[in-house]
Amino acid sequence: MSTEMSNEIKLISGRSHPDLSNNIAKRLGIQVARTVSLNYSNQETSFTVGESVRDEDVFIVQSTATGDVNEGLMELLIMISACKTASARRITAVLPNFPYARQDKKDKSRAPISARLVANMLQTAGANHIVTVDLHASQIQGFFSVPVDNLYAEPSFLRYIRENFNAEDCVIVSPDAGGAKRATSIADHLNTAFALIHKERPRPNVVGRMVLVGNVEDKVAILVDDMADTCGTLVKAAAVLKENGAKSVLALVTHGILSGNAIETLNGSVLQALVVTNTVPLGDKVERCPKLKVIDISPTIAEAIRRTHNGESVSYLFTHAPV
Amino acid sequence: MVRNIVVLGGNSHPALVDSVCATLGLPSCNRILTKFSSGESRCEIQDSVRGKDVYIIQTGFGGNGSKLNDHFMDLCIMISACKTGSARRVTAVLPLFPYSRQPDLPYKKAGAPLFKAGSESGKKDYTFESVPATPAPGIPKSAGFTNGVDISNRLIKTTLANGNGVETPTARQTNGDGTYFSANGSNGFSARHYTTHDYENLSHINAFEAKPGYKQWVAQAGTLVANLLTCAGADHVITMDLHDPQVQGFFDVPVDNLYGRPLLKRYIQGFIPNYKDAVIISPDAGGAKRATAIADGMGMDFALIHKERRPTKITDRQNASMMLVGNVEGRVCILIDDLADTGNTITRAAKLLKKEGATKIYALLTHGVFSGDAINRINASAIDKVVVTNSVPQEKHKAQLGSKLEILDIAPIFAEAIRRVHHGESISVLFNHD
Repeated sequence: MSTEMSNEIKLISGRSHPDLSNNIAKRLGIQVARTVSLNYSNQETSFTVGESVRDEDVFIVQSTATGDVNEGLMELLIMISACKTASARRITAVLPNFPYARQDKKDKSRAPISARLVANMLQTAGANHIVTVDLHASQIQGFFSVPVDNLYAEPSFLRYIRENFNAEDCVIVSPDAGGAKRATSIADHLNTAFALIHKERPRPNVVGRMVLVGNVEDKVAILVDDMADTCGTLVKAAAVLKENGAKSVLALVTHGILSGNAIETLNGSVLQALVVTNTVPLGDKVERCPKLKVIDISPTIAEAIRRTHNGESVSYLFTHAPV
Repeated sequence: MVRNIVVLGGNSHPALVDSVCATLGLPSCNRILTKFSSGESRCEIQDSVRGKDVYIIQTGFGGNGSKLNDHFMDLCIMISACKTGSARRVTAVLPLFPYSRQPDLPYKKAGAPLFKAGSESGKKDYTFESVPATPAPGIPKSAGFTNGVDISNRLIKTTLANGNGVETPTARQTNGDGTYFSANGSNGFSARHYTTHDYENLSHINAFEAKPGYKQWVAQAGTLVANLLTCAGADHVITMDLHDPQVQGFFDVPVDNLYGRPLLKRYIQGFIPNYKDAVIISPDAGGAKRATAIADGMGMDFALIHKERRPTKITDRQNASMMLVGNVEGRVCILIDDLADTGNTITRAAKLLKKEGATKIYALLTHGVFSGDAINRINASAIDKVVVTNSVPQEKHKAQLGSKLEILDIAPIFAEAIRRVHHGESISVLFNHD
């Protein structure tokens, strides 16, 4: 054993998204730490670290697989807590898709603010720092009293559009009023037009009437959003855009949750393509849906980890996507 | 009729919630508690809780298609929702406390014992004589029954030889109830059930190797669970027969640890003929205190089974590691334990007792989780009667075990505890009445 203090990056991966962790490790030129997570027959989760994390800079990557959110979250909390008790110097929880991000306000009487609960739980477990991508509402950062680095998929999307389309032919469309800021930012960077769809939502996971504000005639309409869940919104929005004379419609979405019948809905839609990042494990969905295209977000996350570890600024990543 | 009190039930044990509410004479709180299609829990509390004393009942049990971690998160979300809904006080009622049993210490000083695979361990049916297979590489830990649940036992394997790290060779099991899964051993090992005992013998986690020079660090989730409940906003916790009473110390809020002992005592007195001649047995040294408390209280004899972990010279390998301290010949034995999970401990103990000449064997347990292939193991074992409380749902176990299983109702105890806590009365009488 060397006597000098070591303070290295220890990358620990949960079970939810090993591909992403693997890519991040490859970018950083390190290996994923030896750990094992398993469920006992009584369904309790167990986590074991197979190497010393004492005084190390620990990064725990755990996305949450669609349908298994609570399982992934508990595993993450247990991993954080285990590293804490194993004397890690600093524990950074890397949550590419923040669970419960949509339950961020008390929209009804006695409705839980689950996003705040998740924030509190992460801190209780012992997380000293949070890295996430495209929070549904950036106010969620305020639920934490530890630093939160909210990375953006926007630079990656900008690059994708520039590489695949002529920016002048495109219109950036936000599928709801809430995403207008995100969409206008992309439109500004590309110097293209912007449109917005107004929707009414009577119940969760159900979409009501839609009205287009703006002009998409003979243009490539690019829908931009932070997450695609059941894809009801996106598909309806695509149909509205098509009705309004768009040449073709595609969607750029950060988190491809794609739950329920999303794949079937997409396959039967007028959407030409749905481009997502790999913040959420997609499983066999790429094979099942030819319209689904995936951008690798791991360079951005890996760079954020490297910069966080070295104490460098992360803000460069808000505007640039590492190659 | 109790006023200003709200009893809110989770999804883990609706029958107990109804029973407690019926005893208290009030309806349970209306709520929506489901999942969004994305897998996130959806919780809405439909009755007012402002200024109320809220009791949330959720037991630490997953099965019958639901998951333990889902139930725990649901509980935290419900607590938090009541807190933000201006409840005066929120009490979490956990008849079975999740994560209360910590894995045993991973390594003894002498290192993990090594076993060789025996030929009988591949057997598929349990017989009276069968004992749990010795875990060894390539042999399923339990003969491969699933619990009617779908847990993918995914292991992350990291090898130095493999340039960039992680492989995810996973044999997922999605079989339904009671069917064998065939291991798709693409990587030489198969999906299994793991139990908290597995850390006694690590050889089955053959995909995992700690870094040379480092033993390993196993997460102890008990403190975490306690902290998470407090952080969600629980002001008080009521539970029953904690495996480790030290868990109470993990909380900064009051914890009432109720005992199932009076119920078990009443059963012994009422249903075991000539119980004075029977022997109370603790299946391991850790439970000795629990068992002696009952034996002393009723003036009965006591014996103890000592588990010898060191591999010794083995002729009768199955019981080589167990030793009976006391005499049971020609007598009725009553095994007392707080929790039966895979049923390993009690079935092994029963076998030993039978061998030592016991005439009849009862197993009295507070929490009958019976995960993995516990049911089959118990059915095939020498145990004549299993007596459990309904701290976790027992309907399915009853259907499988039939008349072998006897269920004691704990709803009155919890209802009484809730009533007393609500009125600010002492509940210590619940601890020691016989």
